[in-house]
Amino acid sequence: MELYQLTASELAQMLRNKECSSEEITKSVLNRIKETEDRVGSYVTITEETALEQAKVVDARLAAGEALSPLAGIPISVKDNICTKGIRTTCSSKMLSNFEPPYNATVIEKLSAQEAVIIGKLNMDEFAMGSSCETSYFKKTRNPHSLDHVPGGSSGGSAAAVAAGETILSLGSDTGGSIRLPASYCGVIGLKPTYGSVSRYGLVAFASSLDQIGPFARSVEDISMLYSAICGMDPLDATTARREYPDFQKDLSNADLKGLRIGIPKEYFSDGVSTEVKEKVLAAAKLLEENGAVLKEVSLPSTGYALSAYYVISSAEASSNLARFDGVKYGYRTENYSNLIEMYENTRSEGFGDEVKRRILLGTFVLSSGYYDAYYKRAKLLQKQIQQEFADTFEECDLLLTPTGTDTAFKMGEKTDDPLKMYANDICTVTVNIAGLPAISLPCGEDASGLPIGMQLIAPKFAEQILFNVSRKYETLVGGLNKVAVL
Amino acid sequence: MKIDVQHLAKLSRLHISEEQVAKFEMQMQEILGMVDNLPELSSEDCLIDPQNPMTCRPDIPQNNYKRDDILKNAPQVQAGCVVVPKVIE
Repeated sequence: MELYQLTASELAQMLRNKECSSEEITKSVLNRIKETEDRVGSYVTITEETALEQAKVVDARLAAGEALSPLAGIPISVKDNICTKGIRTTCSSKMLSNFEPPYNATVIEKLSAQEAVIIGKLNMDEFAMGSSCETSYFKKTRNPHSLDHVPGGSSGGSAAAVAAGETILSLGSDTGGSIRLPASYCGVIGLKPTYGSVSRYGLVAFASSLDQIGPFARSVEDISMLYSAICGMDPLDATTARREYPDFQKDLSNADLKGLRIGIPKEYFSDGVSTEVKEKVLAAAKLLEENGAVLKEVSLPSTGYALSAYYVISSAEASSNLARFDGVKYGYRTENYSNLIEMYENTRSEGFGDEVKRRILLGTFVLSSGYYDAYYKRAKLLQKQIQQEFADTFEECDLLLTPTGTDTAFKMGEKTDDPLKMYANDICTVTVNIAGLPAISLPCGEDASGLPIGMQLIAPKFAEQILFNVSRKYETLVGGLNKVAVL
Repeated sequence: MKIDVQHLAKLSRLHISEEQVAKFEMQMQEILGMVDNLPELSSEDCLIDPQNPMTCRPDIPQNNYKRDDILKNAPQVQAGCVVVPKVIE
């Protein structure tokens, strides 16, 4: 067993028992990257030197007998839309290919305070727009379980790196499924936290009312550790909630499933979902039922409209958020211009890829005069209705269980020319963002060709603890979820 | 419905080539077709989450960044200022 194959909680224990050093852990991960990265392609930037320096700092503190934070000395990699001071943050776009933020995102400040070891920045769909990681300006990340398949997106690098053992933990961001879908495709665990529980300060904005940063890991305890480290109110993000958070690990238990009401929303098991995915997800539900949970069929009737509402709201916000990229203060600037307008237009036309342009155009359209009521306002009203349907459903059950994706990972290039097909991948995940709820994706088996299948647990707002406890129980029942892809 | 992609491109400060116009128009038609199926709902207030009333932090100036650090990312800088083409004719 190599160190890179272990979980953060196991490594943290070994560090404290002096069974290994942070430098050894970090080197094990960096060596794994050297062996596999040319095939997987998770990283945009690798910060080997600073990572090793940070590891040595932790080792020195450990040698001096000082107390360590839970994540001290543990390798973590970060999606490349989260600002890291002095480390290039590109959003996998030509537009930001040379951007070095002068500040850290709040989540990075929190990880630094814990002395986590930042290994590098991870590939993604350009500006987090996509479900396959294929719209990156730099490279296409591959699924570590099958290299001719996509890792899912937009946090494809974050999921692939954890699955490949190229890091222990990672951060991604989720606007419509961008953490959960790649977690499902790559056979790892991914959490989309409650909107407002993790600061978005320093996360390059895509759709501000839906975006949320969240953790990837190979064990439920690791997910709860990383979530504990990053959640909390932040004066620099006015949308973060004022509230106290429990000590998630302290209360992390093998939940007593007896009497736990798990809702199975029938709309999430429609014909659009593959038979194999349905079977495996329902088998997982059955396992929970055999151990005391009560399964209830429930209905969320507006689910079918959620994707439309999502594309209207997210594109509208994106068109507004991405207006800042104009070639003036930072980022790419064209060389071909003779006046200001031409500079704007050529900078943006050369700096953005097609998917980003399509969404900016769509967002501009739905916000334009005469169409605002027909599209944007209708979508916001539907959002309210979806939120109400979830609230009503949580009166009769404690959790919802659904598939994460409609199918397992698809082949690279298979859906790049058809936006509607690509968007349909997100059908089980977007409702959660629209309603601002927390949801976790857990591996629950494989299809006939060995590709991972994911199930999604959805909880009421700020009920992450119940997600962790039930996930932990499931993890125990199936004998663990930590699986590094063989490469 | 006809979507004037070139007009939207102008509003968005983007150039879209003629062959891309046709492709984008078709793809946007499909996406909007999906949106046209949204049900008619009647309601007025839909924007504020009553459970999370946001508050602004006090407006206190803080000296967080050095001018040179901020300007490091600017494409063209002269004498501590960002250089742009002539703005007023």
